[in-house]
Amino acid sequence: MKNVLICCGLAFLFACGDDNTNTPQPADTFNRRDLLTNWADHLVIPGYTDLASELTLLKTATQAFTDAPAVGTLNGLRQQWEVAYLSWQSVALIDIGKAEELTLRNFLNIYPTDAAGIAANAESGVYNLALPSEFSRQGFPALDYLLFGLRETDADLLSLYLDPSLGASYRAYLLAVTSRMEELVTTVRNDWSTGYRETFISNDASSATASVDKVVNDYIFYYERFLRAGKVGIPAGVFSGSPLPGNVEAYYRGNLSKDLLLAALAATQDFFNGQHRGSNTRGTGLADYLDERQVQKNGLPLSTVINDQFNAARAQIMTLQDDFVDQIAADNNALLTAFDLLQVNVVYLKVDMLQALNINVDFVDADGD
Amino acid sequence: MNPRLLFLFIGSTLLFMTCEEEGGRPAIAEPSDYTFLRAGNSTVDFTGQTTRILMAEELKASMLNFSATAGQWQEMYRNEAADGGDVSPFASAALNAATQSIRSKVAASADYFSANTAGSARIKTQFANWLDAQYAEVFPAQGQVAAPGIPGQLADGTQARYVSAQGLEYNQLVIKGLLGALMLDQMLNNYLGVAVLDAGNNRLENDNATTLAGEDYTDMEHKWDEAYGYLYGTAANPAKPNLTIGDDDSFLNEYLGRVEDDPDFKGVAGTIFAAFKLGRAAIVAGDYTLRDQQAAIIRTQLSKVVAVRAVFYLQQAKQAINNQPASYGGAFHDLSEAYGFIYSLQFTRRPDAPAPYFTGAEVEALLVDLLDDGPDGLWHVTPATLDTLSTTISAAFGFSVAEAAE
Repeated sequence: MKNVLICCGLAFLFACGDDNTNTPQPADTFNRRDLLTNWADHLVIPGYTDLASELTLLKTATQAFTDAPAVGTLNGLRQQWEVAYLSWQSVALIDIGKAEELTLRNFLNIYPTDAAGIAANAESGVYNLALPSEFSRQGFPALDYLLFGLRETDADLLSLYLDPSLGASYRAYLLAVTSRMEELVTTVRNDWSTGYRETFISNDASSATASVDKVVNDYIFYYERFLRAGKVGIPAGVFSGSPLPGNVEAYYRGNLSKDLLLAALAATQDFFNGQHRGSNTRGTGLADYLDERQVQKNGLPLSTVINDQFNAARAQIMTLQDDFVDQIAADNNALLTAFDLLQVNVVYLKVDMLQALNINVDFVDADGD
Repeated sequence: MNPRLLFLFIGSTLLFMTCEEEGGRPAIAEPSDYTFLRAGNSTVDFTGQTTRILMAEELKASMLNFSATAGQWQEMYRNEAADGGDVSPFASAALNAATQSIRSKVAASADYFSANTAGSARIKTQFANWLDAQYAEVFPAQGQVAAPGIPGQLADGTQARYVSAQGLEYNQLVIKGLLGALMLDQMLNNYLGVAVLDAGNNRLENDNATTLAGEDYTDMEHKWDEAYGYLYGTAANPAKPNLTIGDDDSFLNEYLGRVEDDPDFKGVAGTIFAAFKLGRAAIVAGDYTLRDQQAAIIRTQLSKVVAVRAVFYLQQAKQAINNQPASYGGAFHDLSEAYGFIYSLQFTRRPDAPAPYFTGAEVEALLVDLLDDGPDGLWHVTPATLDTLSTTISAAFGFSVAEAAE
């Protein structure tokens, strides 16, 4: 019976011989351990290490500001927030190990932030930031509101932080938020250096719970849900019919949404290529895996097709205004075009790549109720 | 006569003759949409059903409003005070002014409950108890993380879910339970049944086009439309509801839309709408056999919709539990929906008998199985139990678990 099936399969392949996506592939001899080792040592651990350092600096800057609210300390804190926010974009796509257990992304970057909830928390002094209901009242978006959106002008903002009755509450909340961010990321970072790196690398088989299968699923989920939809599609109104400028990342700061998106896009492309963090060296990535498997698409290596698509999306994003709120007002179609270009790679990654690497999709579109 | 005209004449005569049924009555065509007129006036009216759907929507929203109370929900459920006095529990003035209530039509169909008032009372009380439990058990635990045996909140993706000590979201039990106990039961076992359609002199009056006092419709026409209203009563375009099927409420309309989106069941929304149109046209034409055939189609198909969603959520939850680490928040949300859909199975209707696919007692047994793998309910449920329940339900309706799973 098995032979019959194979014969039928071969007949089918021959019949479709001119369609290169059905070309028989060589056996999978790719060394998944090399891939995992490269990701761990040159992207993930350096990424978390950098972010943890930036968050330590953020906490220091917060302490300086809350000790002495003034224009100088405020600007120092704002600058460090921006640096740390950009740094976060390189590891936002990792959701395995301690980060998955803690749901790190939920605590660091859920937006739009809940401005009313933040005010209620700060002013009452009663809150437990570990609860799921508090996701949207902490992290980078909460700081965006606390440092840029809480009052119209910088003078008013400083007055609030110096206010005899409310000032102490908001200063305490700022410290609580930044301390928690540093603590969470440090916990994740330290887990990788106290055994998780080895666990991650040694789980190098091919199964639903193997490291490659899980991390690639997480990667595509992130690209589809948080990068494509969260940063571009939702604000552009793809899912709502009309644009939602209030859902732009770093809404209160303004002029940062494009840089955050570009940083996130670079991180997803580097992850695909195994590009080392902060260097020109290229190690083993998904591109190499596809190349070894000789996966073709439209007569080109699939790895080339995917990289070309990343580059096409980037080129379109470069033409956008720095603040997507402005872009939506001026010409939302340009943002929609960026979405469309990002969407093409969802298909290449989720369908073509996963098929070629024999990885099953482990997430489904939530039904939203 | 011009030969070509003669040919046309013969052709149209033949056409006409082939459209006649054996009894000599002309065949009834399925209308293109749900528009029915008498002397130029619409004869379609289902405002009472729209009202109840909207009441249930307000109750749904309020159950996660942490400043609301159980007393307010009970008033929304009854639309009257405990002593029967008038109340205004809804945000909408129109709903406050309405005489309808959710509770009066819960487990209240002629076919299933006219001689089973004890069963009806038990189900009505079940909903009241879930409302009380949400307030007494879940709300005080708002600020804590849930754990086995401890109510509180759990993360489901980026959202917080609020669960009981057993892991159940009472609000989901109420919403998905009403979908069966209110909407499905009224539609399939009340308004589409002969006990209601043919009550009193309905047939005679309908044959003679005798309309109700002050209305443009006969009683039978109206009863059919009331069935229609429980599915399409909040449709953007009530005459062509499939344009927005799935988007118009949080109850039957929504989940018919979801099942329609599953390629394995695509076409079900069209089948149900076609049966509603043809059945209504049959009433206008006085063809009660055709009418009842259409009612049987609606009963079978909508019953299946509820079963497909029950199995869908059981299987979704299985995936979430098999995750490493297990996604309890996501799993419990799915299982709370599944619980409500399973509860609703007792209001389904077999095409061949005045009975549901699963009786109340059988439903109770399924729900016990869901919760009894360990001392803390859903916290201990095993993938094997979810598969067993899925298989039991899907087998009764003749679809496969795999078809419903995604």
